[in-house]
Parts: sequence; C-alpha cells; structure tokens
Amino acid sequence: MSSISCKDLCKTFRQGEEVITGLDHVCLDIEEGAFVCLSGPSGSGKTTLLNAMGGLDTPDSGEIIVGEQRVDQLDKAELADMRLHHIGFVFQAYNLIPVLSARENVEFVMQVQGVPARQRRQQAQQVLNEVGLTGLESRLPAEMSGGQQQRVAVARAIANQPALVLADEPTANLDTRSAAHLMDLFVTLNRERGITFVISTHDVRVMAYARRLISMRDGMIVGDEHQEPRVMAVE
Amino acid sequence: MTWLLAWRNLWRHTRRTWLTVGAMVFCNVLLVFLISLQLGSYQMMIDGSLSAFTGHIQIQQEGYLDGQRMRQSVPDAADLASQVRTLLGVETVAARAEAFALASSEERSFGILLTGVQPGYEPGVSTFPGLLKEGRYLQGADAREIIIGSVLAANLKLALGDELTFLGSGRDGSFAAAVVVVVGIVDSGITELDRNVAQVPLGWFQQVFAMGDHGHSVVIRVPNLEQVDAAVADLDALLPTLQADQQQLRVLDWDALQPGLRQAITSDMTSAWFMYAILIVLVAFSVLNTQLMSVLERTREFGVMLALGMSPARLARLVAMETLLMSGLGLALGVLLGALLTVYLSYAGFSYPGMDEMAARFNMSALMYPQVSPLSLLWGPLTVFCGALLAAVYPALRLLRLQPVAAMRAA
Amino acid sequence: MHGSLTAVATLAWRNLWRNHRRTLIMLMAIAIGVWAMIFMSALMRGMTDQMVRNGLHTLPGEVQIHHREYRSDPSVVNSMEPPSGALLQALEGPPIAAWSSRVRVPAVIASERSTRGVTLLGVDPAAEGPLGSLPDEIIQGRFLKDADDRGVVIGASLARRLETRLGKRVVIMSQDPDNNVADRGTRVVGIYRARLSGTEDRFVYAGRTVIQGMLRIDNLVSEVALTADDYRHVSAWYPRIEAAAGDELEVMPWTELDTFLGTMLGVQDGFALIFMVVVFLALSFGLVNTLVMAVFERVREIGLMQALGMRPGLIMAQILLESLYLLCLGLLLGNVLALVTIKPLEAGIDISSVAQGMEMMGMGATLYPVLSVWDMGMSTAVVVILGLLASLTPAWRAARLDPVAALNET
Repeated sequence: MSSISCKDLCKTFRQGEEVITGLDHVCLDIEEGAFVCLSGPSGSGKTTLLNAMGGLDTPDSGEIIVGEQRVDQLDKAELADMRLHHIGFVFQAYNLIPVLSARENVEFVMQVQGVPARQRRQQAQQVLNEVGLTGLESRLPAEMSGGQQQRVAVARAIANQPALVLADEPTANLDTRSAAHLMDLFVTLNRERGITFVISTHDVRVMAYARRLISMRDGMIVGDEHQEPRVMAVE
Repeated sequence: MTWLLAWRNLWRHTRRTWLTVGAMVFCNVLLVFLISLQLGSYQMMIDGSLSAFTGHIQIQQEGYLDGQRMRQSVPDAADLASQVRTLLGVETVAARAEAFALASSEERSFGILLTGVQPGYEPGVSTFPGLLKEGRYLQGADAREIIIGSVLAANLKLALGDELTFLGSGRDGSFAAAVVVVVGIVDSGITELDRNVAQVPLGWFQQVFAMGDHGHSVVIRVPNLEQVDAAVADLDALLPTLQADQQQLRVLDWDALQPGLRQAITSDMTSAWFMYAILIVLVAFSVLNTQLMSVLERTREFGVMLALGMSPARLARLVAMETLLMSGLGLALGVLLGALLTVYLSYAGFSYPGMDEMAARFNMSALMYPQVSPLSLLWGPLTVFCGALLAAVYPALRLLRLQPVAAMRAA
Repeated sequence: MHGSLTAVATLAWRNLWRNHRRTLIMLMAIAIGVWAMIFMSALMRGMTDQMVRNGLHTLPGEVQIHHREYRSDPSVVNSMEPPSGALLQALEGPPIAAWSSRVRVPAVIASERSTRGVTLLGVDPAAEGPLGSLPDEIIQGRFLKDADDRGVVIGASLARRLETRLGKRVVIMSQDPDNNVADRGTRVVGIYRARLSGTEDRFVYAGRTVIQGMLRIDNLVSEVALTADDYRHVSAWYPRIEAAAGDELEVMPWTELDTFLGTMLGVQDGFALIFMVVVFLALSFGLVNTLVMAVFERVREIGLMQALGMRPGLIMAQILLESLYLLCLGLLLGNVLALVTIKPLEAGIDISSVAQGMEMMGMGATLYPVLSVWDMGMSTAVVVILGLLASLTPAWRAARLDPVAALNET
C-alpha cells in the first residue's frame, strides 16, 4: 500500500505572464518503509511533487500510484478520503487548527474518519505520549512553542496509523534543537511502525537523516542516491 | 492625499466594501421607493377623499359638522358663495343644503341624504357630477329634478324620467313633501357614494324644506392643497365683515371636515417609520461591523503609522473619511437607483393584491403613483447616511486609545 | 458521517467566537431584526384581528343567509321564511355556536327636531346575545327585553344628531312589501355606545315581532346570521349550511359578505411575510459579509483541513453551521426580546389620538398586539431558510478553495 510509483509526471503553473515548470517528466519509485528526503533549492519542484503524491494537487499528465491506487484519476472527494485515511501531512507552519487544543487537533482527523470517542481518546493520548507531549494535551496552539506545535502535527499525522507521511519543510521554522528532536521522532516512527516518510527540505542537517536522498532542480530529478544515515536517532 | 489613502483603503477588501455599500443601496432604494409611494398615496388619499364631495374648505354654522341639524344653517348661502368667489378669485365655490328624507319610488322606500346644490357651480367643487352615466346634470336653480347614484337607482328601481317622492321635515319642523323627476344617474364605481348621493337644485330644495335663502355649507375647492391655509386665513378675515346673522359661521379646512383622514395618514406614517427605523438600524450595524473589522485588522499597520509620528486623531479621521466615502457611494447609488425606479413607477403606476379594497375606502384608483420630489428621494437615504456615519464613531474612537508598541505587536 | 459532523460542529462553534466583537454585533443585528419582525406582525395581527372582530360584530356573524335578491336589493320585499326543516336542524347542530334571525331594512327615523336615514334591525335579544351582536355598551336606559319589546334602542351619536333623549318619542318609517309607508311612533328605551361611531349612527334596534307587525310581513325575516366562533376556518363548515339551506337562499361567509375584511386578512399575512423578508434582506448583507470575512481570514486553515482529508462538503457544512449558530442565537435573543416587549402591551396600546383615522379602517381606539406562535414560527423559518441560502455562496467558495493555493496564502 505504501509504495509510491510516479511515471512521467508533468505540471506547469502560470504566474502572471510567465509559465513555470513545476514537474518535468518525473519518474520515481519509492518502496514501502522508505525514509526519503527530497532536496533542492526553492522552486525546484519538491513541494509540487509532494503535493502530487498526497493528492493535494493533480499533475497535468503522467500517473501516480500510491499502493494500488491511481491517485491522478481520483476526484476531489475521493482524494480527500485518501488523504484522510492513508496519508499523514506535516507542513512547514500553520499546521494546527487554532481553536482546537493539542488533543483535539490530534483527535480531529479521527473524528472526521468516524472513529468512536473512546478509541479516539486512547489513540490520541498514546501518540501524544509517543511524541513527548504528555501533560500539554489541553494547550491551544498559541500556547505552545513552534517545536511543540510541530510535534502535535506529527502526532496528528500518525494518529490513525497511516502508511505514508508526507512532510513539507517540517523543520524550516524550528531552531536546531527542536529540528533534531523532530527528525529523531520521524526516524523512530519509521523504524518502529514501518511508516514510509517522504520529507522535502533544503536543510543539510535534515538530509543527513535520510536513507535515500533525491535531489531536484527545475522540476527534474537530478540525483537519487541511497546513503547510510549519518546521524543515528538518539534512543 | 488623505482622501486618496482613504479611498484606496476602502478597496482593500472589495467584496466587503461592496457588501456594505450593497446594504446601504438596498436600504436606500427601498426607502426611496416606500417613502415616495407613501407620500404619493397620501396625496391620492386626500385628493380622492376630498374631491368626490367634501372639497378643501367649507363654511358652516358652528356645530353643524357634528350635529348636522337642519336649523344650523348658513344664511344667504348663495350670496356668501359668490362673495367667496370674488375674495379668493376662484370659481370653484358652491353653496349646498342637506336634509334626510324618506324617498319613495313606485316599489321602494329608502331614507336618503338629499343635497341641494347650485347646478352651475357644483361640478367645480365635486367630481361626482362628472361621473354621470345616464341622462344629464341638473339645470336651473328651481327645477323639480334630481340626479342619483347608480346603486340608489337600482335599490329604488328607478330609471331616467321616473318620479320620486320625498317625505321629510323642513327647517322649521314643518312637514315637507315633494315629487321630483330623475334626470341623471351617476356611477362613480364606489358603492358607498353611489348608494348615498341624491342631488337636487338648491332653489327647489330651499322651497321644499322651508329654508328661505339658507344653505348648510359653502364648499370651496382650491387649485391645490398647499393653498388651503392661505385661503382659510382669507376667509377667517372675511367672516367678521358679514351681517349679524352670519356671525355664527366657521371656516373648516379638510382636516377639520374629515379628521379621520389625517389620522389615518399619521397612523400609517407611524407604522411605516417603525419599519424604516429598523432598516436604518440594521444598515448601521452592517457599517459598524465593517468599519470595526477594518480597524481591527489594521491594528498593526496603525501601530506603525503611530510609531512614524501620525497622531491618533489623524488615524481616526482617516477611518471617518473611509466611512464617509463608503456611505457617500451608498447614498449616490441608492438615490440614483431609487429615483430610476420611482420615476418609472410614477408613470407606470403600482399596485399590490388587496389594494382594490383598500383603495375603495379612500376613493382612490387601484393604481398608486409614487410622488417624486427631493423630499421623497433624499429623506430616507440621508437618514441612512447619517446612521452610517454615526455607526463609525465607535471604531474611530478605538483608534484614539491605541498604543503604538502594543499595536505593532498585535497579531 | 456522524463523527465528522460532530467534529465540524465543535469547530464551527469555536470559530464563531474567535472574533467575538464581530459575532456580537451581528448577533445584535439579527436579534433586532427578528424582534422587529415579530413585533410588527404582532401589531398587524392585532390590528386585523380587531378589524375582523369589529367587522363580524357589525355584520354580524361569520355566515349569513339571505333571500337571493336581498344583498343587491335590501328591501322588505326580499324577505325569507324563518329557518325550518333541514336548515333549522343544521343551525341547531355543531359547529354552530349561535344563530339569530333578524329583520333588517332601511328606514328613516324622525325626532321632533330632525330626520335621519338608518338601518332598522328587528331582533330577538335572546338570540342576539350568544351571537355577540348586541351593542357594545348601553349607556342609558336598557336594551330590548324581548322580541315583543315596543321600544327602540339607538346609538349615542344618533341621539345627538336627532336631538332626542331617553324616553322621548321618535317615529320610524319604512315600507311594507306593497310599498306603502309603514310607520310607527315609539319611545327610545335605551341608548348604546359602539366602538365605531359610524355604527352608532347607523343601527336602530327594535323588537323583531313588533317590526314584523309594522312591516306587515308576518313572521318573515331579512337575514339569518350564525357563528361558530372561529372566523379563520369558516370555509370548513359553511358549505354544509349552504346545502341545508337549499337553492332558494343565499349562504355567504363573511369573507364574501365583506370583501374588504376578507382581503385584509390575506393582505396582513402577505404583508407580514414581505416585511420579514425585507428585514431579512437588510440583515443578509451583514451576514454574508461576516461569513465572507470569516472565510477570508481562515483560508489557510481551510486549506489545512482539506489537506487533512476533509471533503469539500464537510467544509461547506462547517461554514453553514457557523452561520446557523449565529442565526439561531439571534433568533433566540430576538424571540425573547419580542416576548418581553409584547407581553406587557397585550393589555392594549392607546391609539385614541388617531382613532378616527383608524375607524376608517374599521378599528377601535385601542390596539391589542397579538403575539402568535405562527408569526414567531414564520420569522424563524424566514431567517433560517433565507439565512442558509445567503450563506451558501461564502460556504461554497470556502469548499471550492484549492488546498495548495490556500496553504500558500499569506
């Protein structure tokens, strides 16, 4: 289910008069349980590729298969369902719903999915413990630090055991310490739960965690190498 | 420069500004329409009620209006009428006398109100003679003839040329009886009038009812309503110069003659104003909301401006200007669209279901024509304009309390 | 779907209070609008109710039976036999609460000083009482004792115009079926006051038997008036009376007897609805504005929710729910406000300063507002239905946001 296969993806944007190439014939396979970093300068197509994989955006041409599902052929509502049930998202910022507390933010997706209240509560508590937020469950986003907010976002992304988590520049707004903590958390989750991670970043410290590093430029994949993660997770 | 800034600020949220202006325009158009319709219908109510019979002014003996007693009469009525004609310089003045009598045709008998009129002048003060359906109007002051309303004719089973017998009592209490010939039948379309009107020549009336040269009223119609007050003043000045037996006379304007009319208008105005006030309050809330939002979301920006040395009063003035521009736009568009609508309707006419029945009560046609005047066009929109400006006071005042550092830190 | 709606409901409620100033202003506007809707309809309903009641009191009855020719030619010639057989049976059975047969002819009344045209009513006081058609108030003397009472009861205004008093002699004149003058001298045994002074001038009450004798019509009557004490639903039962009365007689409900009154009832309902819609439209601009701003401020958040897998329908539901909360709170406040302001006024509002004007409309000098559940329900329906309709556009726009663009919004 969690393997991703992209074939010949193309996507262009229009910005005023200019036509910008987002994805230029991208072909890519990501196996189940992978820990992948997409790197490249801003405007290289990382986010576009990530959005396409997550069904947030549809490519102009080409096909994407996530698990057995042809993502590019789904309609809006089906895409929403796919994101809801199979994919966790972590964004750069504004990850949380401001009027909901940490626990409520985590429970929110499960509630939309229709998970019964008791189970929801239990699962939310468990993932919040797992990301190290025990005791901060009832804080509102505005009452937490950036790092804590990102942890809530991670907790929410994994709360209902998705097979795939897509993270778009998750550490961009964090200090070094918080960034390291977050990446450790990702690595742990990848190892213990077998969740596939695809993380876009232009931060070399983040890239160091990856087992596979894909570099992009101008919408094209310019490098794809497997590496030994140089920094191992702190237990 | 500040005006330009205010104008630009207004369009930072195009949709919001248009929605607020839209609320004002909606309200303004509605007010223009309703107020001109209202004023138009009052005009019609007054004209309709007065033109059929009552006239604008009457001279009667004191107490006649309330008691309608035969002996509360106007001496030398025809002569007084001609004096009034000379005084006011209008021809539309006529003397009348009234009496209740039992009218009997061959088959039927009814109690009716018989009116003695001056055939030469009556058509000038009342529209009724003009609505003749059959036959002709009265001729000659002493002729033994009558015109009656169509419903009365039907009830009495009378046709042109038939005779009608009257039994009643004269001014001195004597027995009065006479026979007249129907020469005309009037159909005004208003049942109440057509059932009640029976007119005979004044001279003949005076003979039969032992009135001598007396009548009961001198009815005056002036070219338009605005002239009523001046005419009343002239007549009031005339009365003391009359002979001793005419000293009891009183000049009554239409308001005194038909007090219900003005009150009907007043009560209608009251309920209408309740509705207008509500609309204006709601629009003011809309403006308040918009301006408060626009102030709150710019807190940070205002903080910067304060830090740059702009005074809070200037910021408040900026917000006031924005409101002024927005309300001005609402005013202009509202008046324009409202005027287009009402001007069109003032030619085409306007009606609503149930209007027929309402209209008949006031002797109006079933089509209303809104009155287009500066008053009817501007009254409502100007009130809305003021309400909107008032609503912006609170948001503007908030600015005066703004602290630059706190404001810049605001989210 | 249940869980997701709960989630959305919580979210909508919390979002409503994020900008509490804006929400409170809008809430106040809705409450005032709703209050105005209910208050205005209560006044109008009070007015029409009274107009109809007064009308039915003068008419009288909710249904009248006449000779076929009587209404166009209200003469003694067009009299009818008093009810008997099937008709009598129908009149005695439910739902008829009361009925009365009466002589009603045009007549002239003369005092020593003056003469007036009137409508002479020959009535049986025992039957008129339950019908509710007796004069409002006897201010001098007494009402007729029975159908054989030889006196007459006249209105205060008429007495003034005739310059006559209690106990004085008056002559009433009419015609018999052969058009001979039928007259008799009688005494004023009572003077009544009516809510409408026009009524006082018009109606003269006399004993039915006495008038039948004077008019030489044996036991014939002019009209039968009946009531079931429910003027709004006359059409439900009057056809049965019509069937029982046969072809010879004309049976008519009040809505046709007095088309002005009949129309008024419809006009009132229609006008109340129009007023409500107009008030709502004035409100709707503010409502839409509030929602548009709410969506505008939350574009990024909505993008996030879409990214998390919330279907567009659910996003739309969230905005609509937010609007619904606002509307319902406003309705609640408005209704409470209306209740509080109208209840003390139900004892009557003095409008005697415009009494003569109101009389032209068939109204008395006191206005009794009528707070009706129907009006409250109607205003609620107008506000909720139109409110949700007005919210559709902002909600639809929110649902249609492109998640990627929305997330990138700054």
